[in-house]
Amino acid sequence: MVSTLTRNREESSPSSPPRPRRRRALRRYGGVVPYLAFLLIFLLIPAFSVLIGAFESNDGKPTLSNLRVALSGPYLHSFVASFELSIGSTIIAVIVGFIAALAVAATRGRPRALVQSSSSVLANTGGVPLAFAFIATLGNFGIVTKILSSMGIHLYAHGFSLYSVIGLIIVYQYFLIPVMILVMLGPIQNIRSAWVEAARSLGASKVRFWWSVGLPILSPAILSGTVVIFADAFAAYATAEALTSGTLPLVPIQIGNLISGNVAAGQGNLGNALGLGMIVVVALAATVYVLSQRRASRWLR
Amino acid sequence: MVTITPGGDGLHLRQAGIGRAFRAIVLIIVGAFFLIPILASARYSVLGVHNHLTLSAYRSLFADPSFRSSLWLSLQVAIATVILTGLLVIPTSIWVTVRIPKLRGLLDALSIVPLGVPSVVVVLGLLGAYHSILNVILTSPFILAPIYVMLALPYSYRTFDTAVRSLDVNTLVEAAQSLGASWTRTLIGVLLPNLRAGMIGALILAGAYALGEFVVASLLSFNTFPVYIVQIGLTAAAEAVAVSLVALLVAFVPLSLVTILGGGRSKTKQRSIGVTG
Repeated sequence: MVSTLTRNREESSPSSPPRPRRRRALRRYGGVVPYLAFLLIFLLIPAFSVLIGAFESNDGKPTLSNLRVALSGPYLHSFVASFELSIGSTIIAVIVGFIAALAVAATRGRPRALVQSSSSVLANTGGVPLAFAFIATLGNFGIVTKILSSMGIHLYAHGFSLYSVIGLIIVYQYFLIPVMILVMLGPIQNIRSAWVEAARSLGASKVRFWWSVGLPILSPAILSGTVVIFADAFAAYATAEALTSGTLPLVPIQIGNLISGNVAAGQGNLGNALGLGMIVVVALAATVYVLSQRRASRWLR
Repeated sequence: MVTITPGGDGLHLRQAGIGRAFRAIVLIIVGAFFLIPILASARYSVLGVHNHLTLSAYRSLFADPSFRSSLWLSLQVAIATVILTGLLVIPTSIWVTVRIPKLRGLLDALSIVPLGVPSVVVVLGLLGAYHSILNVILTSPFILAPIYVMLALPYSYRTFDTAVRSLDVNTLVEAAQSLGASWTRTLIGVLLPNLRAGMIGALILAGAYALGEFVVASLLSFNTFPVYIVQIGLTAAAEAVAVSLVALLVAFVPLSLVTILGGGRSKTKQRSIGVTG
């Protein structure tokens, strides 16, 4: 890589003899080939294989029956459960994460770097250890469960279970709130003091400032945070699998069960159909993310 | 070195109504939410379900050879992921900025495409697309590294690319070269020191992703650390809680250290580091 860069510089410097244009273009674009090849091999070809498989019967003939099965009965139910989980988690994480980011950004002593690095750890490694940390906290014999029941509040007698959609929504906050903090910290810190002063000198109250200036400026970032969190919650697998051992019917869990062969044989392409369903949902979310990013970056220049 | 910290110390945000009481309440509640599971795990891991103080969970853990082997495997895969991420992300992002700026937006957009394909679907696709050569490739756990590099691209590439964007790379390159520096020297002596924060951030994110990843490793049947935790969790809850606590702390300590060391150059500015969340 570095040596190619060196050669290129010699080639483009005025003293070197002119080369055919096409070869120079090849050299120029050569630098991004490894990146593109990587995405092709490890992402696009596999995604394409899922797409094709979703429309193929197990003996290779084109069919729609996989998709029909994937969108009916127990599998339709798993899509509903996945949506309940991800929408519920998103609403809470967006609100709490936004408020927390405001508080962090306004705190003296620049805790931003620390919060940012803890947030990126929490947002990425929560997965499995998190499930067990919450079993110790809110599980049947968890410490908070015990403390609450000694105070007369019997969580599990009131229909609460850590191993349900509600329980997962609580657990997911542990890695979703940090995502929202990460997304919002930068844009919040980019709010210029001149805007605050201008609003104040025009007689705006603090509430009015946030309503008329702060929120509109932050809204693209809030939207992109919402979308990222939704996609994250919808695709999450590790925590749910570790908590419920594959018994809670969420779409990723169902796919995992199909891959591990925990279901009746002869349903190979059903997994692909479910996978395609997930791609469609998350891709829609990702499109919104890209569009909102474009708007958000307008204020950063 | 140009460091832009818009908003300074947040004085104007405080003036805009985010007062002391608001900050205190929010940081205490959110902080408690993040600390209580850690404290509960610590207590659970030494008291277990029956409330006797015992370190047996930790003792049986460290005596378990698969504890060490799975941890070692995860570390190796994480190191491979970090190296591969560095080799892929750093040159690509700089190259595209200097040589083909019009492709910058495209590569940036491509870097978030992995977010659109959940990792469970990636496994499905990998198994479907490469089933014929599967037995050859999928025997070595190091196949996880390139998959993790790809899955962590939305975090690593964007982090580094943001740093590249905030730096006037073209001016620096021209300046260095007009002084006679080679490309290698420009990259190592001029660009990378200026991009240090973005580089460290990108590599940390990739490494953290690799250390915590469960889905791909579990479905491809490699006994990485997270897979091991889930396995012992099926039979021994206290051990699983203990090892989860260790995992959370293991993830935290070096990352916090890197943050502090990363800010080492501007030590005077970083006198007070508040502990939150």
